Amino acid sequence: MKTILPVLAILCMGTVALAAPAERYLHVKVDDPVGREHVRVNIPLSLAEKVIPAINQGQLRDGKVELGNFHANGVDLKMLFDAVKSSPDGEFVTVQEPDTDVRVAKSNGKMIVHVIDKEGKEKVDVTIPWDVAQALASADGRQLNVLAAIQALEKAGDTTLVTVTDNSQTVRVWIDSRNTSD
Amino acid sequence: MLLLGKIGLGFLGTAVVAGAVVSSEGFIHVNVHEKQTNGTHISLVVPAMIVPVTLKFVPNHYLAEGGRDVRRYLPVIDAAISGLADCPDGPLVDVTDADEHATVVKSGGSIVVDVDDPDETVHVSVPLHATQSAIDEIASAGGPI
Repeated sequence: MKTILPVLAILCMGTVALAAPAERYLHVKVDDPVGREHVRVNIPLSLAEKVIPAINQGQLRDGKVELGNFHANGVDLKMLFDAVKSSPDGEFVTVQEPDTDVRVAKSNGKMIVHVIDKEGKEKVDVTIPWDVAQALASADGRQLNVLAAIQALEKAGDTTLVTVTDNSQTVRVWIDSRNTSD
Repeated sequence: MLLLGKIGLGFLGTAVVAGAVVSSEGFIHVNVHEKQTNGTHISLVVPAMIVPVTLKFVPNHYLAEGGRDVRRYLPVIDAAISGLADCPDGPLVDVTDADEHATVVKSGGSIVVDVDDPDETVHVSVPLHATQSAIDEIASAGGPI
């Protein structure tokens, strides 16, 4: 009996170690208290990873989105992202206009974009893990590599990606390992 | 008497195997309940295997147009069904507004859709495997895949 117990314990630990990693979920939560509308969407990232490459419609092909009027003007986005990744945290862009404030910063390995639309009283916060941003910009030319970004998201920790708040609605997009939004 | 017993056992065995085969792909549940007085209440439980088998007997010209439409989206449908089959159970979509509530949940290899509005409640549960077989059957009606 004494010899069986340690063997069982080692087997149990081995099973836990070999267990498949927890499924990661992309959550979208929209709340409109005025219209009493609430939407919750929980997408397993493994599902998105399978479906997105299969879509070849419009601007989405082979897991990449074609950016219509985007011109990099000769700037190598991949090199730009590499350079910014190795640079210290800080605020890179600040635009203050009478009706809009925009701020782009890098903080704790994440790219952060804050937009405040003073007229529409809308506030948008985007936080993208740097590896995800790099994966997104990894396609050639005027494309965003959505599939690579999803694969990078699977490895990223739990984080809120987007929050949008206006007069009547709040939208939140985040990733974690829970299959529910609440 | 012994012969009768053996025949009975043979029938019982056949019935059990047939039941196991028929229910191997799960069951489709459809439940519609109209809330008004004297409203219709439909409750249907059908072995999912029946759907693709039945589709085999539908003349091709009835399914040809649908088949052509489905084939355009077949890679996406295949990827979605396979991805859903592999992902863990859980709620996928939940929409609530002032007087309606709709949910889509993956549960035990099936997609379950529930809608509750002021007029009726609808519950549909479809096994993913049967959905794939049925879609393949419809797609093949539009010509060889």
